[in-house]
Amino acid sequence: MAKSVKSPKMNLIRSVFGHLNAIIEVTKEVVMPSTITIHYPRERRKLPDNFRGLILFDKNACINCFRCSHICPANAIQMYIRENKYYPGIDYTKCILCHFCVDSCPTSALKPSKIHDVVFKSLDNMVVKPEDMINEPKVLREDYITVEYDFDEDLIMRRSKVKEKLVVEIDKPVRPDFVAGAANPENCIACRFCVNSCPQNAISFKLEDQQTMVFSIDIDKCTGCLICIRKCPTETLKAFRRDKIELEGNYERR
Amino acid sequence: MRGDKQIVVLDPKKYKYNWKVERPERVERSKYFGNLKTVVIDSGICSHCGTCAICPVKGIIVEDKPVDFPNWKRLCIDCGACIRVCPRYTYTPISGIGDYIEVFAGKSKRFVGQDGAMVSEFMASALEMGVIDVALFVSRDDEFRPYVVHVKYKEQLKDTRITGTKYSFAPVMPELYEIARYVDGIGIIGTPCMVSGVRKLQKEIPFYEKIKFTIGLFCTENFYYWQLKEFLAEKGGDLTKATKTDIKKGEFIIDYADGSSFRISVKELEEIVPSGCKVCQDFSAIEADVSIGSVGSKDGFSSVIIRSKIGKEVYDYMNEKGYIETDEVKMSVIQRLCEYKVKIHPYPRY
Repeated sequence: MAKSVKSPKMNLIRSVFGHLNAIIEVTKEVVMPSTITIHYPRERRKLPDNFRGLILFDKNACINCFRCSHICPANAIQMYIRENKYYPGIDYTKCILCHFCVDSCPTSALKPSKIHDVVFKSLDNMVVKPEDMINEPKVLREDYITVEYDFDEDLIMRRSKVKEKLVVEIDKPVRPDFVAGAANPENCIACRFCVNSCPQNAISFKLEDQQTMVFSIDIDKCTGCLICIRKCPTETLKAFRRDKIELEGNYERR
Repeated sequence: MRGDKQIVVLDPKKYKYNWKVERPERVERSKYFGNLKTVVIDSGICSHCGTCAICPVKGIIVEDKPVDFPNWKRLCIDCGACIRVCPRYTYTPISGIGDYIEVFAGKSKRFVGQDGAMVSEFMASALEMGVIDVALFVSRDDEFRPYVVHVKYKEQLKDTRITGTKYSFAPVMPELYEIARYVDGIGIIGTPCMVSGVRKLQKEIPFYEKIKFTIGLFCTENFYYWQLKEFLAEKGGDLTKATKTDIKKGEFIIDYADGSSFRISVKELEEIVPSGCKVCQDFSAIEADVSIGSVGSKDGFSSVIIRSKIGKEVYDYMNEKGYIETDEVKMSVIQRLCEYKVKIHPYPRY
């Protein structure tokens, strides 16, 4: 048996209130919108200080220790020879912006930045050389409002007219000034891994006669990158504090 | 144990720190591996102990074939480490039972092994005492091919694949060099030639005093796995289906899973004995901390010769905890085998 459905009764008061409500809502949205999107590029979101963006480089702080290129999980960092020393360059076609290199840098020569909207003109340009990493890239900025999200209770957006800096100044990590020294010369097997791996050529060897090899470490050249210690297969070399070089009388300063 | 430090030349004006390394003398004008090849490998006295795998460029290959360094003329970096540590480069055979503190026959109550499972018991006790962090054992795969395993917990030794004897060379020393930088105490189980290699290594490079506990096995000869497999297949045995191999009363015995077994006289195996074993006269691993073998004790017991302080400490600990049963050893049997090995393996050969 079919049921008949009647149309609702006409209620004038209810429909007037309904229409009024809708008009008020629309007016409210026009005056104070409740969207959480921002009008990029006229507005920019305030990013946290540890945001992982483009990586910048300080050539003077670099000690050529290769740590960044060793740790890079995407194998994106290549060391380039500049003035007889090795400096890192990043291949942004491979880089996954994990910032392991920034975290591993012992002298914070690699610096993070909040620049994330980057355009390269060709694939070749994405392989960045060390000298291109020193200055921050040219950024065209149209933003005049910085938006900050507040997630504490209900989502609140705070808009301010402060223009945010994209380059972050980070504190240099506290790190003692290390120097490599041969703590156990009796362990040495004359493999010369330390000599070959030293980026500063601080370790050298010469043949005294057919059998005897004399190795020497130039403490002034040593930057304390400690690659030689990681390479040494028999723990001959160890790290020492530069201000406390008193190793069983083996070291002397002028 | 550490030797005197080498002469240190100070040159304070230039802030330099010098140290000297004495490399061994050469017998011929070639790179050091060429010398090793001439003196040890090509002359047929290489024991395949694997100590030369210290090679810093990892060129020396110690696998299931004679030791080799492909393309050594180009790749050898001429450091001389292989010659410094090789126990056969300046070879003077050692023989006899050697010095010892105590001798007994033992049987483990906790483990099942070849005979008395004393090797497993000693290593498990050393792990328990904290003398060593890791012990290198030789396990086997389904085809009885040996491979090296790291044993860190005594529960791992419940696996009978690890505890049985394999009678073929395993790359224990290359594995040791891989892990030596990352652990503090290492336990090694090896044939007498490996023990000699370890001792030479420790004498030359004190860094390897990390090898704190060495167990030597009674040994007359060892085989290459592929050679043993092919030889036994020719004679009608199948090593790949074996569950246990053993040498008892002059017979090489293969036990199969269905309970049957294959027997062959050890004298027939003579033709595949590697030439390096034919100059070795050390039967009882004279330089080890503890020597263990089945000779001289009843079935189900292993003869144990304790030679050093650390071996005695582990033995006392085992006794205290009551992990073992002890029995008498017939020293005359071990003595006779020591003399027999000298007789069948004369050196120099000619």
